[in-house]
Amino acid sequence: MSTRLTKALEFANYRVTLNNQQAQLKAKTQSLLSYSINGGTFTIDLTLITFCKQLIDNSQTEVVLLDIYNNPIKVDVESFYEEIISRYYEVTNNYYAEYEKLRKSRKVHKVLDLNEEGK
Amino acid sequence: MKKESNTRGVLMFAHNNTEIDYFRLAVVNALLVQKNLGIKNITVVTDPHSLAQGEKTLGKRLIKKAINNIVVVDKDIQFKAKNQRLYKDTSHTAKYLPFYNVNRCDAYDISPYDETILIDVDYLILSDTLNSCWGHNNELMMNWKFQDIMYERKDPSLNRLYDMGITMYWATVVYFRKTEYVESFFNIVKHVKDNPQYYKDLYKWHGTLYRNDFSFSIAAHVMSGFVDKGIPQLPTTLYKSFDTDDIHSAVDENTIVMYLEKPRSPGDFMLTKWQGVDIHIMNKWAINRVSEELLEYAK
Repeated sequence: MSTRLTKALEFANYRVTLNNQQAQLKAKTQSLLSYSINGGTFTIDLTLITFCKQLIDNSQTEVVLLDIYNNPIKVDVESFYEEIISRYYEVTNNYYAEYEKLRKSRKVHKVLDLNEEGK
Repeated sequence: MKKESNTRGVLMFAHNNTEIDYFRLAVVNALLVQKNLGIKNITVVTDPHSLAQGEKTLGKRLIKKAINNIVVVDKDIQFKAKNQRLYKDTSHTAKYLPFYNVNRCDAYDISPYDETILIDVDYLILSDTLNSCWGHNNELMMNWKFQDIMYERKDPSLNRLYDMGITMYWATVVYFRKTEYVESFFNIVKHVKDNPQYYKDLYKWHGTLYRNDFSFSIAAHVMSGFVDKGIPQLPTTLYKSFDTDDIHSAVDENTIVMYLEKPRSPGDFMLTKWQGVDIHIMNKWAINRVSEELLEYAK
């Protein structure tokens, strides 16, 4: 096989590994952005964060929110907001750091954090 | 109103066959549960032979450290001989072996806890996400949606009991509370287990193998008022690898590196690092091969 073809195949292998690793990172982030409270589960996203901030700005204290199952869950909106915003910062910052690390890795073993011997 | 002392715990079933040491997997996973979920209440249902093998290879001390409640039951020998399944250790090795899963329907009666997370021994707990189940409004939750960790691979045959049948729920992870409704659910599971031919004709699943995924799916269908997808899913996604995949190494108590078989190139693999997300590993030999490393990290 020519060197050029070998190199192209190596790069294809690297891309497959990278794509899968990015998907894994997304899966981990999504699972960390799930928050359960008072018997309900919420996905922390921009809509939820903005809505809670809006409720606080409207001087609401105890509110009913619909969780991922569309069940009504009563929460204290201030403490709920504090919790989701801090989780959101923490998780997205980690996501960014790990994503950047992946983006800069140009070899399969670097994408996987292994040394060249695969250990 | 909830009881004051609400007990919570994890339940697993571990019955060895001639090749796969399920009890060892249960010990590994119990230690991972302790480490990553912070749960000490762990019940493992096993049989005298599997327990004896575990005591011989792992030692009583380690077993006691990992599992605080062992329930020993006798095996149904006839069922064991009859229920044979094709196990694969990657595409290169395949074997028919007994698949002993007959007593999972007894989980409700066996569990000593008010709230239970029932998991397969090969569902490795690498995170604390299952803690979000405790105290949930839903008294019974399990997944019908799953995600293959090799994202390009798709197998639509795993979505339903048969092409035009009901949605298949995975009995890999089940959260339940002790309530009348859940008790009735498990009674239906037992009824399916006791009358497989009748339910097979009715729900038309393929093959002769008895799988808990089938009986739990049928019970879910019945107990939802014959509505598809009537039982809510867990608040976590079910991630799966398949028996054609392998484990390269265990890096720490929440990271493993895996060989994933490429979809268009059987027997050819790519690597992936799986970190901080629970995962169902179908290749049991693969977990046994890295069990020493996992035991060391999780101890």
